Amino acid sequence: MTGMTVLTEGARRAAPRWLIRHETLLAAILIVALAILGLFNDRFLTVDNLLNQGRLMTEVGIIALPMTFIIITGGIDLSVGSVVGLCAIMLGYSWKNFGFPLPLAIVFSLGVGAAAGFVNGLLITRVRVPPLIMTIATLALYRGLAEGVSQAHSVRNYPEWFFFVGQGELFGVPTQLWILLVGIIVAGIALDRTTFGRSLYAIGNNETAARFSGLPVDRVKLLIYTLSGLAAGVSAWVLVSRVTTTRSDMGIGYELDVIAAVVLGGTSIFGGAGTIWGTVVGLVMIQLLKNGLALTGVKGDATIIVIGVVLIASTLIASSLQRRR
Amino acid sequence: MKHAMMTTVAAAILGLAMAGGAARAADKWDGGDDIATSPLACDAGPPAATAAKPYDGGQPTAAPDKAGKPITIVDVPKLIGIGYFNATSKGMQDAAKELGNVKVTTDGPTEAKIDEQIKFIDNYITRGVDGVLFAANDPVAIAPVLKKALSKGIHVVGYDANSSPDAREWFVNQAQFNGIAKAMIDSLAKEVGEDKSFAIVTSTFTTPNQARWIAEMSAYAAKCHPKLKWLETVEAQEDNVLSFNQATTLINKYGDKLSGLLGMTSVATPASAEAVTKANLCGKVAVVGLATPNAMKPYVNAGCVKSVVLWNPVDLGYAATYVLRAVVDGKLKAGGTSVEAGKLGKLNVINGSEILLGSPFIFTKDNVKDFDF
Repeated sequence: MTGMTVLTEGARRAAPRWLIRHETLLAAILIVALAILGLFNDRFLTVDNLLNQGRLMTEVGIIALPMTFIIITGGIDLSVGSVVGLCAIMLGYSWKNFGFPLPLAIVFSLGVGAAAGFVNGLLITRVRVPPLIMTIATLALYRGLAEGVSQAHSVRNYPEWFFFVGQGELFGVPTQLWILLVGIIVAGIALDRTTFGRSLYAIGNNETAARFSGLPVDRVKLLIYTLSGLAAGVSAWVLVSRVTTTRSDMGIGYELDVIAAVVLGGTSIFGGAGTIWGTVVGLVMIQLLKNGLALTGVKGDATIIVIGVVLIASTLIASSLQRRR
Repeated sequence: MKHAMMTTVAAAILGLAMAGGAARAADKWDGGDDIATSPLACDAGPPAATAAKPYDGGQPTAAPDKAGKPITIVDVPKLIGIGYFNATSKGMQDAAKELGNVKVTTDGPTEAKIDEQIKFIDNYITRGVDGVLFAANDPVAIAPVLKKALSKGIHVVGYDANSSPDAREWFVNQAQFNGIAKAMIDSLAKEVGEDKSFAIVTSTFTTPNQARWIAEMSAYAAKCHPKLKWLETVEAQEDNVLSFNQATTLINKYGDKLSGLLGMTSVATPASAEAVTKANLCGKVAVVGLATPNAMKPYVNAGCVKSVVLWNPVDLGYAATYVLRAVVDGKLKAGGTSVEAGKLGKLNVINGSEILLGSPFIFTKDNVKDFDF
């Protein structure tokens, strides 16, 4: 309990500095960049385009939320892209080959995602495999399973109602964006206002101290890796619904997009610091920069260069800020 | 103690992961799309005329009438930065220059990923163009975004890799799948003999063109060269190093049993030829495959590779641009049977809404020097 009080005090002391916090700076940069891009192209800052970008951003965004938790504890989950592939295949395969009704197939694939994350968490906590090694291994394992189970056959011809999540709209906003918004609010509250959230920072700052303070470190870790798998499952559902097809190569490279958004948002890769709000700003920044640059006539290969430069610059800003503290 | 256990478990997990990857490679895999095959007749000769099929393409909604007026087109290939799509892009620029009233830009993902490709097309729809040319990374997954383009009055023409027909107006077909399959298997049988074994290096099992070719090759080999033995099909993405490694693995694994390697991509074929050269097996293991001539010149000139199967990708891009212009000008309408394509002359409509570029072309030592792409 005493460890907790120290932490709260630490957070309170940092509060007046909100102006120079990484996320606030990033948000300022984001607004300036958007204004400039908006000046260059009159089709960029339109409601239609922004909602559409929200649609495209959701799959990576959903996974970025538990990834923020994991990185705050000093861990990492590289297997998320492969879990997306595995869940997408399980959704299509159980529907087509096991004859599950489609709603059950969706639930089943979410279960597979959670189980995949649970296995990661179990070996990380019980056997103490470093998260990097464990999830690199399952990155290969889960992708191999996805391709092995499906034999690389795509699943198509889903019924029309299934496309509601990926292509439909609810109150004028893309359906999946509601899922992401709810996720952001829940994750934000969980991280900022609950003991669960506090214990994540405690683990990231000093895992041994957290253990001696009586925090259920292993149970918390198991939970966040399972959440990560579950989020990858939701992401797979949204993705399959959006592109109308299940393919075993779905989600390849997602881990990098997700981690890029999280660390751009100011979460320290060494653990102990980070916010959901920062992750959301990082996510929006990458998506809208890509989109804005494309609409302004910058080609794909040049866009990736800009994204790389932005990542490096933001890391430099963050580390120089930390040094000043 | 704890440390040792950790290492063992980590190793076990890695081992398991690799076993998962290897398990599927052991199968003879013959195309993943479950579409019926139609092997050609075994003897040479022009392909039999296929039964006429009604137009099955889609139509844009309320497309502005720009007949004869300048138009802006975007070309979104599977990926950018490889020789093949550089060549199609060059053909488009050639056509644009000849026509004078077309502006084409090529832009796309740097990796052949369908969700990236969808985002590129989506962005160009928002930006506003008159036409989209595409080579699909997945025929069905790309359909919703193409339909969105049609619904915004944008003309859509595919080339190289098709989408579902109703998601685009026309598709320029570089060569029919069964034609390529016949050329590949016939060349292989001619080089190695009728009763030998071969293996295939492809991109991934999910790539639509490769999947179709392999399915057609399987059907054609069974029909016309039944004694040819198919050992294995391996995936190598469109990656140079991986293709070389996969080909080398095949050579080591099967030894004397392996008489031929078939490369299914413009990356896999030169890499397979390189693997055979490095193993000093030129003349013992034949390499036949799809590739661009420039990449294959050293191996063809050295006598290590005798036949390279392909169409001319410059012509493919050129034809796609002419088709889109003809659609905008109202010269090619649903139900049309042919289209004028500049220096290529008149191209015929097949399969309802596809335009056939021609028969596949086989590059050999005698003619490879005449091509530069």
